[in-house]
Amino acid sequence: MGKIGLIIKREYTTRVKKKSFLLMTILGPILIVGFLVGAIWLGQQEEKNLKILVLDDTYVLSNTLLQSEKYHLTSSQDEGIENIDDGKTFLKENDQYDIFLYLPGNIVSGNTSVGKLFYKDAPSSNVQRHLENIVDGSIERLRLKELNISNEDYSRLKNKVQLHTIDVVSNEEKNVGMRAGVGFIFGLMIYMFIFMYGIQVMKGVIEEKSNRIVEVIVSSVKPFELMMGKIIGIMFVGLTQFIIWVMLSLALTTTLSLTVFPDMMNPQKMAETAQMEQVAVGIEIEPTNSEAEEVGKEFQDLIFNQIPWGLMIGLFIFYFIGGYLLYGSLMAAVGAAVDSETDTQQFILPITAPLIFGYIVAAMAIENPNSGAVEWCSQIPFTSPIVMLVRVSMGAEGLALEIITSMVLLVATFIGTTWVAGRIYRTGILMYGKKASYKEMFKWLRHK
Amino acid sequence: MTNETPIFEAKNIVKEYSGHRALDNVSIKVPKQSIFGLLGPNGAGKTSLIRIINQITAPDSGEILIDGKPLQREHVSQIGYLPEERGLYKKMKIGEQAIYLAQLKGMPKKQAKQELMLWFKKFEIDTWWSKKVEELSKGMAQKIQFITTVIHRPKLLILDEPFSGFDPINTNLVKEEIMKLRDEGATIILSTHNMGSVEEICDNIALINNSKKILGGKVNDVKEQFSEEKYIIEFKGTGVAFANAIWGGWEMVNNEQLGKNHAKATIKLTGGTQLNDFLKGIINAVEIESVNKVIPSMNEIFIRAVENESNSKKEVTNENTNQDG
Repeated sequence: MGKIGLIIKREYTTRVKKKSFLLMTILGPILIVGFLVGAIWLGQQEEKNLKILVLDDTYVLSNTLLQSEKYHLTSSQDEGIENIDDGKTFLKENDQYDIFLYLPGNIVSGNTSVGKLFYKDAPSSNVQRHLENIVDGSIERLRLKELNISNEDYSRLKNKVQLHTIDVVSNEEKNVGMRAGVGFIFGLMIYMFIFMYGIQVMKGVIEEKSNRIVEVIVSSVKPFELMMGKIIGIMFVGLTQFIIWVMLSLALTTTLSLTVFPDMMNPQKMAETAQMEQVAVGIEIEPTNSEAEEVGKEFQDLIFNQIPWGLMIGLFIFYFIGGYLLYGSLMAAVGAAVDSETDTQQFILPITAPLIFGYIVAAMAIENPNSGAVEWCSQIPFTSPIVMLVRVSMGAEGLALEIITSMVLLVATFIGTTWVAGRIYRTGILMYGKKASYKEMFKWLRHK
Repeated sequence: MTNETPIFEAKNIVKEYSGHRALDNVSIKVPKQSIFGLLGPNGAGKTSLIRIINQITAPDSGEILIDGKPLQREHVSQIGYLPEERGLYKKMKIGEQAIYLAQLKGMPKKQAKQELMLWFKKFEIDTWWSKKVEELSKGMAQKIQFITTVIHRPKLLILDEPFSGFDPINTNLVKEEIMKLRDEGATIILSTHNMGSVEEICDNIALINNSKKILGGKVNDVKEQFSEEKYIIEFKGTGVAFANAIWGGWEMVNNEQLGKNHAKATIKLTGGTQLNDFLKGIINAVEIESVNKVIPSMNEIFIRAVENESNSKKEVTNENTNQDG
C-alpha cells in the first residue's frame, strides 16, 4: 500500500470507529423513518368514527345527508331536540355524540351558506371538509329536484378534466412534479453530505495543524498526498454512511410496512385518503374506487418505471464525489490557512454561499424546471451537483449534451480547486500565529 | 574522516519567501557518524534549512547531497526528523499512532511493531501502548515523539530542540540515546539553543545568523579560533608584586586575592607577547602555582559571533541611511 493509502486508511478507520459515527449512522435512518411513520400514524389516528347530531331547520336536508361508517349522522328530531340551544346542551351533557351540526333554514336558499359545527374535541380539517362536502351534496341534490334536472343530466353537466403530461420526445406519460421531488431529494442529500463532510475535512486539517503533528507527517509524505489522503478518506466515510443509511432505511420501512402498518405503504390506501373529499360528495359521477386505483398505479409507475434509477444513482455518485472533491479541497485550504476554528468564518462564507444558492435553485426547479437559472446552475460546477439531478429526474432525454458538459466542467473545476488548495495547504499548514488574508493566500499560490 | 564523502552536504543554498531572504548562500558539510550542531538565534534560518533537507520546501538555488547523491524523494526513509513544533494525534492510541508514523517512513507494519515494543521497554513506557495521547503529560509525549523519529533507523537524524520539555533525568536519557545512535552509525544534526549540550555532545557546528552561515567547523577549532590570549594564573605572592613585575605587552583582566599570600589573576597578552616570555618576567616576583588558558564556552562564542555580526551590519545600514539622508 502506498503512503497515500496509509493516510486514507487512517482517516477512514479513526472516523468510522468513533462512537459518534456509529450513533449517527444508526440513529439517522431510525429518526427519519420514525418521524415519517409517526406523522402517518398520527394522521391515521384522528380518523375515528364520529357520531354527529344534526339539527336541520329546513327539515329536508337531514334526511338526505349521506351516511357512512365513519360519519354517523342522527337527526335531532330523533332525540327530541328542536332548537340550537337544546342541541348545544345535549352535546355538552351527553357522551353519545361527538359533534353537533346546525344547519339554519336559509342554508338552501343562499349561494354562500353558513352552518355551525359545535364540538367537544376540535375536529380535524378533514372532518370539517367532509361535512361541508356532504351538506353541499345534499343541497345540490335538493336543487336538482327543484330545477327538475335528472341525476344523469347532472352527471353530464359536471365533468372532470385531468391533464396528463406527456413528453413529446419519448412519448411517455410523466408525473413531472413528483419526479422532480425525487430528484430534489437526491440533490438535497448531496447538499447535506458536501456540507457535513466538507466541514469534517476542514476540522481535520485544523486538528493536524494545531496538534503540530503536520510537520512530522509532511517530512514523510508530500503535503498534497496528505491533503488528498484526508479528503478521500473522509469521502469514503461519507459513502459508507450513505450506503448504510439507504440500506437501513429500506430495511426499516419494509419491515414496518409489512408488520405494523400493512396499509400504510399500500398505494391504493394512500390514494383513497387523498381522494377523500371527492368521495364525500356522494353523487356517483364516477366510480371513486377506480380513481383511487389510478392514483395508486400512477405512484407505482413513478417509482418503478418513470424514474431512471440506474442513471440517477450513477449520476448521484458522480456528482456526490465531484461536488465533494470541489468543496472538500476548498475546505482543506481554509483549514490550512487558519490557526483555529474561530478564524474560519470569513473564509467559509464565500464557500458555502454558492452551495446554499444551489440548494435554493434546486428547490425552485421543482416548480419551474426549465427556467434559465436552473439551466445555468445545472452547468456551473459550484451548483451543478445539487441542481442537475432535479432536471435528470424529470427526464434525461435531450439532456445528454448538457449532462456531459456539466460533468466535464465539474471534473475540470475540481482539478483546478484541488491544485489551488494544494498550494495554499502546502504553505498554510506550516504557518503559525499569522492570520492569513486573501492577499497572503494569493502569494502562497505562487510559492515554489 | 576528512577524505570520506560527507553524509550530508548543502551547497550554496538560497531560499526566499516573498521578498525575505531566509537562507543566503549557506554551505554545510556534515561528516558521517558525527553530531553536528546547527546553531543560530531565533529566526536565523535554521528551520528553513531543516525543512529543505526534509523536502518540505525546495531551495531557490543550491544543492543538497546525501551521501554524495542529490537529495531525492527516496531519501525520506533515511531521514528522521523531530521538529521543534511537534505533536501527535490526541485521540489516537499511542501504539497505533507510532506504527502509523513508522509506516509512513516506509517500515513494514510487523517490523515497526516489534521494534517499537523494544523502544517502549527501553524508555519504560510499555504500559502506555493502548493509551491515548491526550492522557499523557508533555514530557511523556516527547518520549513517544523521539521514538517515532528514530524507529526506522535513519542514516541522518535531524533533531530540532530535542531536549525542550524534558526533565534533567530524561534529558540525559535522550542525550545518551543520541550518542548511542551515533556510535551505531547514524549522523545527527542537532539544532538547539542549549549551548551546554552542544559543548557536551557535538563534534562540529555551524552558526547561522541573519540567513548567513557566519561560523563553522569542529567544536575545538571554533573554540581555538575564538580564544584570546587569556590565561588564569594562580600564584603565591601579592597582586601588587605580580602587577609590577613586568611592564607592557599584557593587560590585567581580573585580579583576585584568594588568601594572605595567595592570588589568582586573569591576564590577556597583547602585542604578540609570548606566554613563556611573560612567565619569565613574573617568575622572580611571585611563585607560580598553575597556568591555564581560558577557553571560551560555546555560549560566549555564540553571543560574541552574533553580536559582532549585527554590529557590523548596523554600521553598514547606518552608513546607508546616512548616504540616503
